[in-house]
Amino acid sequence: MSVIQIQQLTKHFRTRFTPEGRGKALRAFFRPQYRLVEAVKGISLEVDEGEVVAFLGPNGAGKSTTIKMLTGILQPTSGGSRVLGLDPSRQRQQLAWQIGSVFGQRSQLWYHLPPADSFRLLGAIYEVDKPVLARRTAELVERFGLGDFFDVAVRKLSLGQRIRCEIAASLLHAPRVLFLDEPTIGLDVVARREIRGLLQELNRNDKVTVFITSHDMGDIEKICKRAIIIHHGEVVVDESMKDLKHRALARKYVGVRYQSPVTFAIPGLPPIKHTDRSASFEVDTRQHTLQEVVNKLSALGELEDITIEDEPLENIIADIFASRNEQSARGVAVGLAGKALAAQTLAGGQS
Amino acid sequence: MNELNTIQPARRTGRLGAYLRFMGMAFAVNVKAVLEYRLNFLLQFFGMMLNNAAFAAFWAVLIARTGAVGGYGFNDVMFVWGFVSSAFGLAHIVFGNIRGLSRIVLEGSLDVYLLQPKDVWLNLLASRTIVSAWGDLAYGFIILALLPGHGPLHWLLFVALMVPAALIFVAVFAGAESLCFFMGNSSGISSAVSEFLLTFSLYPEGVHGAWFRWVLYTILPSGFVAFVPLRIFKALDWPLVPLLWGIAIGYLALSYCLFRVGLKRYESGNRMDARV
Amino acid sequence: MSRRLTRWRADWRTGLTAASTAIREKLAFRANFAGTMLTYGLFIMVFSRIWANATAGGTTVAGYRYDMLVWYFIIAEVPSFALGRFFWSLSRDMKSGQVAYLVSRPYDFVGYQFWERLGSALPDLFIILGEGLLIGCLLTGGLPPLAEWAGAYSGGQPLAGSGLAWLAGQGLRALLVVMSLLLSGSLNFYLQFSLAMTAFWLEENDAFYWIFQKIALVVGTLIPIELLPDAARAVAVWTPFPYIAYAPARIMVAFQLPEALRLMAVQLAWIAIGLVLARLVFAASSRKLSINGG
Repeated sequence: MSVIQIQQLTKHFRTRFTPEGRGKALRAFFRPQYRLVEAVKGISLEVDEGEVVAFLGPNGAGKSTTIKMLTGILQPTSGGSRVLGLDPSRQRQQLAWQIGSVFGQRSQLWYHLPPADSFRLLGAIYEVDKPVLARRTAELVERFGLGDFFDVAVRKLSLGQRIRCEIAASLLHAPRVLFLDEPTIGLDVVARREIRGLLQELNRNDKVTVFITSHDMGDIEKICKRAIIIHHGEVVVDESMKDLKHRALARKYVGVRYQSPVTFAIPGLPPIKHTDRSASFEVDTRQHTLQEVVNKLSALGELEDITIEDEPLENIIADIFASRNEQSARGVAVGLAGKALAAQTLAGGQS
Repeated sequence: MNELNTIQPARRTGRLGAYLRFMGMAFAVNVKAVLEYRLNFLLQFFGMMLNNAAFAAFWAVLIARTGAVGGYGFNDVMFVWGFVSSAFGLAHIVFGNIRGLSRIVLEGSLDVYLLQPKDVWLNLLASRTIVSAWGDLAYGFIILALLPGHGPLHWLLFVALMVPAALIFVAVFAGAESLCFFMGNSSGISSAVSEFLLTFSLYPEGVHGAWFRWVLYTILPSGFVAFVPLRIFKALDWPLVPLLWGIAIGYLALSYCLFRVGLKRYESGNRMDARV
Repeated sequence: MSRRLTRWRADWRTGLTAASTAIREKLAFRANFAGTMLTYGLFIMVFSRIWANATAGGTTVAGYRYDMLVWYFIIAEVPSFALGRFFWSLSRDMKSGQVAYLVSRPYDFVGYQFWERLGSALPDLFIILGEGLLIGCLLTGGLPPLAEWAGAYSGGQPLAGSGLAWLAGQGLRALLVVMSLLLSGSLNFYLQFSLAMTAFWLEENDAFYWIFQKIALVVGTLIPIELLPDAARAVAVWTPFPYIAYAPARIMVAFQLPEALRLMAVQLAWIAIGLVLARLVFAASSRKLSINGG
């Protein structure tokens, strides 16, 4: 049974812009000029009950806009969607009873109050009976490990603690679908891992359908079985996590630095850039295993540092564009930009 | 743990009951906050009393010199300050977000309220309370106790008039704030409206010219939050009380509609072309 | 002698630089000032209606006619709107530790603060004053008459003398009003500085300021002190409060040179007292600062 159905969903924004130049700015004040931004251009997809779906894409790809349309915050320009059989654009309130949501950047907790009070207020908003509320709060506190700071004002919590509270709070009314928009944004590695674990457990135990957006591949690699990548408002990939992983994780970036100058002459593995003591390589793990590459590199000289990085999401998207031969001109351009970016990250990683 | 999915939100309670429960809960939680910030609260209360006392001294001096001003004697002035203060306080206690609405909209924080199964307007306005407003609420009752010749009936009438006046404050403040949906950053207009409404309410009706009174009974309804209540109170004119309630509900309805119309234009967060 | 002169000039230059920096900074944040202008205008409108009502039928209140009361209010409110908010910024800087850092700089702290804060208030002063003049002329049909200047007060008849004398009178009055306003601002600064410095001893010292501000409001700001009951006025004239708002406003509406000079002399005397007080409080508080280790 599909819990989310999206058909040809589009969203256009009209944003005002002020042209450069003093006279023009003045004219624009009286006669504003608008620019049309197509944030979402006809997305169609279905999500089944109990699925954990990752909605991936770089910043500005339209992820948040889509999730906001699915939760009834934004009205679509055209097309339609159904969540649990309800139309979010017209049945927002009915839908709200059955969905939970965490927007990484927007808190549903009262900033100056301890989470305990927020939970009580949310209980009242969602009309959860008192005994039920008490039991569920206790459960969530235990499960999300909120005990230590449940009585501390939210403003004093760390971001990781706050997000844990946010997710717990969004589950208070036992939603059937959970929407998470960039839940791990700004979190450190440990907190990220915790959140991922919690979401995984949640889906496994309670069969909650989870729809999660992120611009971080690592976020969803572990917990999602299906990945949807959107870019410039369109779905460019909709496939199982396994396939995507195969594609995405096949390529690694390896950076090395040696104590003394070496010559980088490894057959079949030219460096993408190098100095006399350091270099970076793009490794296709289907041709060379990482083990093999690392062995060869360490044989060259005394290694001072070695870094191995996944391919950035931008590159994967760029490659997808390129390989499909659609919109080839743009694909190549993005691809090149992506490569440059990867090289930069790599350089950053080395220094 | 498997229970998570089996519990559906209880919807046995009636809609109104549920709203009242939520507001009661918000209220209770905020009383706790008052206790937590009691020094701050006491200071604010002290400051407000001092401010009002200064203006009371001004009126005492002036009226001693000239007699009634604009038809108001000293007791009338005191009543109006107390009454307006209480109504203003009540509005900010129950609907603490009336002056934060546009900020919430422009920051995109409205999303949170849109995600919850309650009326956005009510949920938004009621989910905060202003601690210092308790002092304002108390001030009216203090004045009422100090002014001579008021029996229980007067106290009852005071409350019966204060509630619609508070609702009119809510309607006007929230309405002015809702303009942000249409014009981006409207904080200038909304702070002007609230300051004008409050100021005109605190001074005698009779000092203003006839044409200006039209304003005071329409867009800046000082007439309904101060002048009319004073007349009803002095004459113990109970039959007019429902009329004031009706007017208050009318203002609320208009304000609510303005918000709903504006909400259709809401474009969540970073897409709003507003310069805050 | 010449060393002292050099010292003097250096002090002046530091002071003027501080003032002009503050002015420029302030101009950049002009938009914030719109709210203050609005409130000021609103207050004048409301009070002009009150005065119109209180003087209905051409009566006077304690010798003040309608136009005098309106102009009085316009000028008397200027110190509170444009030259009277020193406490908050000082107090904020104290609590944030900014002052502890400023104290260590190699110049006279009280003097530097004075020039900087007063300098930053000057644009406010002229904008508010301009607004007040505009509203006042619209409400009363012109500047308050200079009848008293000629020493021929005759029921509000404007001076019938030569144009030149009129012009000289207007100019002199304008000069003295502005000077008196600046003296008000200085007095306000030293008194509020002394109040703000109590933050070294008391965490919550806002209450002092409120009391100060409200007394100032009743004594001379909302109403001329002539309206106060006799006993209250007899006490009030021995406090600094009338010399914050009353003095410049009185010079504006009932201009007589001897009275104006006397009022300004008392203003200066209070400034001297305020300056000594500010230095004493500051000396005591900076000792406290060094004991606490800043």
